[in-house]
Amino acid sequence: MFIEIGHFAVILALVLSVVGIVSPVLGLKTNRPDWVRIGRQAVTLNFFLVSIGMAAMIYSFLTNDYSVRYVAATSNSKLPIFYKVAGLWGGHEGSLLLWVWILTAYSTLVVWMHWRTQPVTMPYLVSVQSLIMFGFLAMIVFLSNPFERIFPVPLDGKDLNPLLQDPAMVVHPPMLYLGYVGFSIPFAFAMAALFSGRLGEEWIKVTQRWTLFAWMALTTGILMGGYWAYYELGWGGYWGWDPVENASFMPWLVGTAFLHSVMVQEKRKMFKVWNLFLIIVTFSLSLIGTFLVRSGVLSSVHSFATDPGRGLYILVFLSVMLALGFGTLIVRSGKLKSQIELDSIISKESAFLFNNLFFLVAAATVFLVTLYPLLIETLKTAKVSVGPPYYNAVFMPVALGLLLMMGIGPSIAWRKASTDNLKKNFLLPTLIAVIATVAAWLIGIRTVFGMAGALTVSFVASTIFIDFAKISALWARRHEINYLLAFYQAFTNNQRRYAGIVTHIGVLVMVVGIIASTVYQVEKVVPMRIGDTMQLKEYTIRMVGLHEVSGANWTAQEGLFEVYKGEELLTVLRPQKRLYPVSQTPTTEAALYTIHLGHVFLTMPEVGSDSVTVRGLINPLILLVWIGGGIMALGVILNIFRPRMKTP
Amino acid sequence: MIKTWHFVLVIIIAGVLSLFYKGLWGDPRAIPTVLIGTQAPIVSGPEVRTGEMISTGRFQGKVILINFWASWCLECRTEHENLLALNRRFGSNPDFVMLGINYQDREEDARQYLQVNGSNFDHVRDLKGMISIDYGVYGVPETFVIDQKGVIRYKYVGPLVGQAYSYLTESVLQPLLERRPFPSS
Repeated sequence: MFIEIGHFAVILALVLSVVGIVSPVLGLKTNRPDWVRIGRQAVTLNFFLVSIGMAAMIYSFLTNDYSVRYVAATSNSKLPIFYKVAGLWGGHEGSLLLWVWILTAYSTLVVWMHWRTQPVTMPYLVSVQSLIMFGFLAMIVFLSNPFERIFPVPLDGKDLNPLLQDPAMVVHPPMLYLGYVGFSIPFAFAMAALFSGRLGEEWIKVTQRWTLFAWMALTTGILMGGYWAYYELGWGGYWGWDPVENASFMPWLVGTAFLHSVMVQEKRKMFKVWNLFLIIVTFSLSLIGTFLVRSGVLSSVHSFATDPGRGLYILVFLSVMLALGFGTLIVRSGKLKSQIELDSIISKESAFLFNNLFFLVAAATVFLVTLYPLLIETLKTAKVSVGPPYYNAVFMPVALGLLLMMGIGPSIAWRKASTDNLKKNFLLPTLIAVIATVAAWLIGIRTVFGMAGALTVSFVASTIFIDFAKISALWARRHEINYLLAFYQAFTNNQRRYAGIVTHIGVLVMVVGIIASTVYQVEKVVPMRIGDTMQLKEYTIRMVGLHEVSGANWTAQEGLFEVYKGEELLTVLRPQKRLYPVSQTPTTEAALYTIHLGHVFLTMPEVGSDSVTVRGLINPLILLVWIGGGIMALGVILNIFRPRMKTP
Repeated sequence: MIKTWHFVLVIIIAGVLSLFYKGLWGDPRAIPTVLIGTQAPIVSGPEVRTGEMISTGRFQGKVILINFWASWCLECRTEHENLLALNRRFGSNPDFVMLGINYQDREEDARQYLQVNGSNFDHVRDLKGMISIDYGVYGVPETFVIDQKGVIRYKYVGPLVGQAYSYLTESVLQPLLERRPFPSS
């Protein structure tokens, strides 16, 4: 019964979203403020209606109601409760429902917070957000209905895909959606600005925190997905340039470019059309990501159900959104003229320009290569080869360029940097970078990747350190306080800038982790029997046992491996080869031992009757990848919740 | 006031959308190749482990299976056992030869991969990536079957596991070796 109420609520929400699209615009045109208000209420009401839908689904999951087709497909009575709730986004239909729910929640929050302060743009925003809602609600109601019943009712569910039964996977999709959907807010504000003709800096100031939040959620979501791939898929790597990974990475790249280039518009009133263009591209890429993931046009480890009908629907919706976004931009951008030209190539403006250029080149590269299989299929001229080495080769120079910009951008002067300014800010970091590179070479870091990393990381790190040191010294002198307090006061006084720098520090930490774990990874795949040993750098791995274990909904062969460093026993690792009997799916569970921020990583890809294949990896400093991600997120939080700027 | 970038933008978007539209109706794994039915390019290069030069020129009149792989390729690991089994089954047939092509890899990595996982057939290093380009390989693993007349008859993208493996052995290799008519894919 409850499921029917949820179903009905979602159908009602679909109808209301039409009201949300039409009534605010009509109200504005006919000067009827009450109609505009109806649009606002439709959005808020939709949040409650879709929430009822969500609650009905979760209730069915918790009560093991297998008369609901979707529940029967993605849950099982033996599934731990934790994963029963997560089963909601374990499949296509439920994921869409979560997508829409997040959209309605965001929209309601935005309308509630900005209705009074943005009376002119809000009605348009309501229309645009309702249009997106309509697109997805219609898909849920007509093509991907999670509320559908089946008869006869199966005795038990088919179980959630075992690969998804993992804590990181419970949080990964909602985080990713918070990011994807979050970009709809700056997008809707941009569209509202275009429609209303209020094309100044206002929409950028209002959306700044929303964009930051969406960006943080997307970053966290991507990194969680990486961690999941790292130990659950048993890759031993966190990034494989899989089409679905790329689908989340592309909006991230353009979104990051957007975050930076809006600062130029705020400070110098430049890049107006460009910023509108960037946010439309970012949100379009979010939709394209949804399309790629949900339509099965590309082959991927994420093997979601493929269905041309649904794919076609998303494609039509995508076309409508693209036509709306870029069409409006083309028609309205004639009004916009950036009055100011670049004063000098050596300036903060041009540093931002290069930043944007690098991010877009990166995004375009990923885009082209991801769609490459589609392209050759269409053109039938299969004549080039691509793979992870290709991505790495193309991506590395771009990434290094971006890193360098991260050192130059924050410290270089606006308009035109004088020779004095350049000397003051960059002479010392350049010297330090050169020394660090030589030192790296001397201690045996001799790969191009490693040395280029040492050069750029030390350069950026020293610009940041000098920046912090200078500002602390200045405040200490001016207020006659100690350095620590001075640093705190200086930081909170211009928290927007320094929180950004904290995010940059996170990037640096991550880069160190990526380089160390890529260049200095050691891997061995060896067949072993009980009593055998394997040498991984300074660690000795001895196999001491193999036995059966079982969990709530799985059984496994578990290997016991002692890890020694010299004579000292460090730990016993227990990698498993699991079998989930309900879905007859085997999974490989990695076992990790953390040491010096790195991992000793063991999996058993194959288990025979008397011997097993063991894959052992040493991933030095790999934890820095996620620690760096945490610092990046911290920077964004400090940025969102910053105090007002005081005069010193 | 229409500007150049307007045109460029519209063309790019229309292009991408039509590409997506086309993509909806295809199976991403079964990418048709223009090469099927054409004469297979000759493959030559040093063997990964021995360094000895190998050329398919001297295998004329045989059914040749060519498998592109790399040590960094995770899906290649999943099909590896099947490749070994394949050669155990057909390798004794004088009309059959199997060749691995090591794709975009470091020599020591490739050698270690073979050492660790074992192999019962030869592997050619694709030195400048020319073999992969000749065969239009865009990712690994990819497998080609060439018939006795040197014509490419079958191509598969992705690991040879499950149905893909049984289709290859029962419906492609077996008929070809028995010179039975073979359903063109």
